Amino acid sequence: MSHLDRSMIPASGEMRDFEFPPIAKKDLDCGLALHLVQQPRLPVVSVRLFIDAGEDTLDHAQAGLSVLTGDALLGGTLDRSGIELAEALESIGADLGVVTGWDATTVHLSCLADRLDEAFALVAEVVRRPRFPDEEVERIRDQRLASLQQRAMEPSGIAADRILPCIFREGSPYSRPSMGTRDSVGRIDSEATRAYAAEFYKPVRGGLVVAGDVDLAEVGEIANRHLSGWSGAPPPRREVDTRPRQTEGRIVVVSRPGSVQSEIRIGHVGVSRSFPGYFPLRVFNTVLGGAFTSRLNLNLREENGFTYGVRSQFGFRRHAGMWVVGAAVGTEVTAPAVREAMAEITKLVREGPTDDELEAARDFLAGVFPLGVETTGQLASKVESMLVHDLAPDYYATYRDRIREVTRESATSAGQDAIRPAEATILVVGDPDEVVAPLEALELGEVEVVELEQGG
Amino acid sequence: MLLDFPIEQHRLVNGLRVNLSRDSTVPVVGVNLWYGVGSRNERVGKTGFAHLFEHMMFQGSEHVAKNAHFELIERAGGTLNASTWFDRTNYFDTVPSHFLELALWLESDRMGWMLPAMTQEKLDNQRDVVMNEKRQRYDNQPYGDWDEWIQTMVFPSAHPYAHTVIGSMEDIEAATLEDVSAFFRTFYLPNNCVLTLCGDFDSERALESIERFFGGIARGEDPPELPGEVGIAPTLEEPVRREIEAEVPLPRVIMAMRVPTMGSEGFHAAEMAGSVLGTGRSSRLYRGLVRDRRVAKDVMCFVFPLTTGASMMLVWATGVPGVEPEQLEAALAEELAGMAAVSEEDVARAVAVNTARFVQGLQAVGQRADVISAFDLLLDDPHRINTEMDRLARVTPGQVREFAGSFLTEQNRATLVYVPKEAT
Repeated sequence: MSHLDRSMIPASGEMRDFEFPPIAKKDLDCGLALHLVQQPRLPVVSVRLFIDAGEDTLDHAQAGLSVLTGDALLGGTLDRSGIELAEALESIGADLGVVTGWDATTVHLSCLADRLDEAFALVAEVVRRPRFPDEEVERIRDQRLASLQQRAMEPSGIAADRILPCIFREGSPYSRPSMGTRDSVGRIDSEATRAYAAEFYKPVRGGLVVAGDVDLAEVGEIANRHLSGWSGAPPPRREVDTRPRQTEGRIVVVSRPGSVQSEIRIGHVGVSRSFPGYFPLRVFNTVLGGAFTSRLNLNLREENGFTYGVRSQFGFRRHAGMWVVGAAVGTEVTAPAVREAMAEITKLVREGPTDDELEAARDFLAGVFPLGVETTGQLASKVESMLVHDLAPDYYATYRDRIREVTRESATSAGQDAIRPAEATILVVGDPDEVVAPLEALELGEVEVVELEQGG
Repeated sequence: MLLDFPIEQHRLVNGLRVNLSRDSTVPVVGVNLWYGVGSRNERVGKTGFAHLFEHMMFQGSEHVAKNAHFELIERAGGTLNASTWFDRTNYFDTVPSHFLELALWLESDRMGWMLPAMTQEKLDNQRDVVMNEKRQRYDNQPYGDWDEWIQTMVFPSAHPYAHTVIGSMEDIEAATLEDVSAFFRTFYLPNNCVLTLCGDFDSERALESIERFFGGIARGEDPPELPGEVGIAPTLEEPVRREIEAEVPLPRVIMAMRVPTMGSEGFHAAEMAGSVLGTGRSSRLYRGLVRDRRVAKDVMCFVFPLTTGASMMLVWATGVPGVEPEQLEAALAEELAGMAAVSEEDVARAVAVNTARFVQGLQAVGQRADVISAFDLLLDDPHRINTEMDRLARVTPGQVREFAGSFLTEQNRATLVYVPKEAT
């Protein structure tokens, strides 16, 4: 064995090509397109059936209805009660759930491949023949209300919810949490969920994605059998008001006396998923706060020990979501943490990343891509996201090339388009006696203190 | 269900246990190390140190600068992290397969050459980070102190599980560089570690690389006996109950039991009982407390896979607004008592759900490597990844009933009740 020089970083081996597995497509009789990715390694399968029914089509008065209707799908069908449904699924080891976001409602299933026929029958049943029994809907609503009440006492939940109306205008759906408010959810009854499902749970503009140890012919036959006769279109999409509420920087302190930490959020209106500079912006944001070795984390955590971690994120939705930096920091270092975060953001936006940072971020994003498509669940989610956001069919096949094409100039310009530090709202959930004076001394804008409990 | 993940077992001269499990579906490889040290090895006044030490392992080693581990792995397109628990500390990197040697170099350098890179400044910084982690995850969270209470109620104060993994603020604050170096020399040894590779690699070349990077690290003395008193009665001698008034939005009741240790026959019965109680919407707790009685907004059951003296099982329920904690407590107790009459169907469903979840959970190479390391370090049998499902599937309703009769009793129960403080 030759002597090993430990100070030498080992050279990389030969890189093995990685291609995103082929996505097969088949139009189903009901008009829905089936997209399938074969992954035969283990006898498992993941299914995602998405419907064009997102929270963003609802007024404030109905906020949370889409989410609650999705939850209540598991409350029973015309053919079986909620408990019978749970038993039918669990007796074959199938996991069925519903997730509703701003852009779509998705019914997702995972099961062993030899159970797909039985399990898919239940997916079709809950979507096409939901019953929404009074007592189930009331129970699920009460659970949701209790969760909202709980969230209102958790600092991270408070911060996430309270920054929304600081950023979006009052009428915009994005100015409220996607699961609704205690007021709006409290008004939902079984009638409302039934009406919502009858109007929105239609195949047009939806899609079906399957990944796993199955083939196209087999799944096509199963899906056709269970979905035949399903038809119709949900109401047209709506524009969402994504104009910023204000463009002057300011600091809002949500009063939570006695907090041992402050939850900090810094943000403003971001960009939509169709933003032309999407790839350069991903690279830019990785340098800013999208990786452990990002500027924000190295400063706030590794240099200063202010926090356990800090991230910068974009909510890439069909319409412009939010750009937000978030961290929980020690109460006594709240103002220094805000100062350092703002300084890092401002500097990176002004100067752009260094060549070395750019290269590191590109290498990270391109290299980590295969790690995100190891499981059938990940594969199905990726394909679903491609379809929901109308991305090109070769989107994943060319993803890594697009990342590698990003230059210092394109990243800087995308960062400058999407992030305007002087317009950001800085929200702090913490002890006002401890944090307000030091925050005022930063001279980053007016400091307003608001109560923890909101009226209404 | 038959699983047949291939596993090649090796042992280096210095005692490092090596498992190689090939799967070239995606060109990535999981590099996973389990060290046989956790919070159970901490002595009085040093709680939280195993976890703080885990943070220090990312602060560089003789040939690797501070944060270079993160920089190099992220740049390679990999992900990495570590975690500390009662019985072990694990470190894991998942990288594109052509960067396998990089990960082995980084992991071996901190196993063999960590101490020369340690400074007071790095320790001060990570103490601050860990104290902020504690504030964020425990102190500033409703119910965040539950495990501190429960562990002292279930385990006698001299038992190594009587304190939490995060430890106390005072102890974290008091940690010194001396402690770091003593801990390293005592526990971070090749003969106290399992290394598993899972994914896309050539076995012969991988083993050669492992020899090259880890072979030069000296074997150390076997780690010392666990501190405190490990011997413990299989169940509590009498029930314990504590009510605390706290800044929480809703009442929550937690019940914890001593149960057989991981790896014993009784443990599988405990796992099945846990699943019947708390996994899925057809489970007894969900059906009883959330659906039928509508007293709880959420329920949970968890069986800790612990190995020292006794393990622990938990059930909890968070009330819906307006419910009295006593109602929750009574309902939970009733469901536990009801386990004496568990049915064939209950157990069959639990087997079906567990089988599917277990297989789904093994899809990613990083997770698979973690399961292999766990079975090797804790039970000396990495191949158990292929047989575990069968062991669970063999559990009979009779065994679950027997388990319930012995362990889900009133006597063997620590009850913690959170009562929301009246708004002032």
